[in-house]
Amino acid sequence: MVNSRYIYSPVSPTQLTAIILFVVGLFLTQVSVAAVPQKHENFPQGVPTINPGSELWREIRRRDGSGEFNEVNQGLLVNELLREMRNSQQIQQGISQVGQVDSGVLINAQGKRWALFRMTTLADYSAIAIAAIFVIIVLFFVIRGKVSIEGGLSGNVVKRFSDYERVVHWTLAIVFLFLAITGLILLLGRPLLIPLFGKDFFALLASASKEGHNLFGPLFLVSLIMMLISFGRRNIYEKGDLTWLLKGGGLIGKGHVSGGFFNMGEKTWYWMVILIGLVISISGLILVSPNFGQGRLIMEFTHILHVVSAMILIVVSIGHMYLGSIGSEGALEGMKSGYVDINWAAAHHDRWGKLCREQDLIVSAEEYARLQGQTGSISQPVTEQGK
Amino acid sequence: MIEYLVDGPLWYLSLAVFCTGVVWKLGSIIFTSRKTDLSVARDSATSGAVRTVFSRFLPHREIAASIKMQVIAGYMFHLGLFALLFFAAPHVLFLEEHILGFGWTAMPHWAFIVSAQFAFLGLIMLWLRRLVNPVSRLISTLDDHVAAILTFIVMLTGCFALLEGSPALRLLHRFTVELWLIYFPFSALMHTFTFVPSRAFTGAWFGRRGIDA
Repeated sequence: MVNSRYIYSPVSPTQLTAIILFVVGLFLTQVSVAAVPQKHENFPQGVPTINPGSELWREIRRRDGSGEFNEVNQGLLVNELLREMRNSQQIQQGISQVGQVDSGVLINAQGKRWALFRMTTLADYSAIAIAAIFVIIVLFFVIRGKVSIEGGLSGNVVKRFSDYERVVHWTLAIVFLFLAITGLILLLGRPLLIPLFGKDFFALLASASKEGHNLFGPLFLVSLIMMLISFGRRNIYEKGDLTWLLKGGGLIGKGHVSGGFFNMGEKTWYWMVILIGLVISISGLILVSPNFGQGRLIMEFTHILHVVSAMILIVVSIGHMYLGSIGSEGALEGMKSGYVDINWAAAHHDRWGKLCREQDLIVSAEEYARLQGQTGSISQPVTEQGK
Repeated sequence: MIEYLVDGPLWYLSLAVFCTGVVWKLGSIIFTSRKTDLSVARDSATSGAVRTVFSRFLPHREIAASIKMQVIAGYMFHLGLFALLFFAAPHVLFLEEHILGFGWTAMPHWAFIVSAQFAFLGLIMLWLRRLVNPVSRLISTLDDHVAAILTFIVMLTGCFALLEGSPALRLLHRFTVELWLIYFPFSALMHTFTFVPSRAFTGAWFGRRGIDA
């Protein structure tokens, strides 16, 4: 006999109930899907009654006054009315049998202006912004160089991020990069890629990018929510953050400035990601679901908002990537292994570093190597004495 | 030429490699000779096997809290991929026209999108977890990474071809599927089929000894 103390049921009643409900739910979903008649190509879909031109003719007759058909007058009036509509600053709304948003608008002059803005101003300034940030980074690197740690790396580390936090960070990063690349292809591909690869290839790439962008969009919102839950509390502003800002975060001039677990710069970047990310996500959802009654004007405005906010985030994220990798010694380790060098912590986050020392949270180089599964010899840390 | 190759010989070759490989691997696992267990059975091996096959769908109580993310992401990915494979309208149509000769009700488009998003998010998180956790990283082989990346690429090309407006994107998706099918029997992807005999074997072994594990 087996001692009953060591036996536990692998499936508790609650879990069993949950499984049964899940299976039944799946079954019911399938049944309900089967019950709904599916669209079929041969099934009559109704007679299309889109005829916004009828309202135009009604307007022409009204202006003509006679109500009788006069070919010469009608032609002149049509031309005049079309010209008026194209040049109008306001959208002229007529009446149509089609009861959908904007179906009474024959010519949307604003649409032309938006298309022009999107093809020229928006695309041009976006390209300039990306080029500018790369130039700034190169100049910064040449002038300031890599931000090094005073005294070098000690080899002794402290735990900074858990596995889950790093997974959340990199998930957001991957989804963001995918969306940024596909979004830039859609925004700048026409002038930049068609001359390089031709129209056929660009058509293929744009189609793929559009589908990928729409599919991954909601994942960005989910990643943002996970980011908010995981990192939100530690990114609330506190006393001392303003001093960090006034001293330029230590990037300008010599010496590092005081900071907690996250410094003012990191906190500002975090809230930028969350808030601008929310604007991008919500505007993206409005664009991807045009069947909720939003008209062309709302879609055009939302599109501009989506692109402008995304460009801000893309440009600043390039700076973030630089500072988090080659721009700052030891910074990438936090998101790679979850541990950072104690000297790095003291230099960039001195208040947190001090707390780690006080609470004896420092992990020795040997222990860290063991935790990382490095069985061979570990690289010797560079210290002031070791130089 | 490429269209002919991808839709024709390569498709049949990949299908043949997949079917032969899976049958051969499963057969070699199931029919491999084992030493007869001479010990007195304390409990039923069969009930232990059946119980373990199903009980492993939930994490052990002792470790449930610490592997919450893997469990949630794991279910998101596997259920999402299952729904995509067998209930996406283009797949149902393909299976009906080219393989089975009959079809079933496909998911509506919105469910297709949601399933794809679940599968993508789950796969990304699982793969990242494999990379960031030192223990997972150490026990992971090149095959694990190739399998994850190849599956991701297959799903990605599928989502690129979602519009069904470009023959080139459809071909790209089909080509990656063929690569995936050829790689499948020689890789960790075989766990799609081996998880049942693996669990059953462990369950039967424990069950015979009266261990409730």
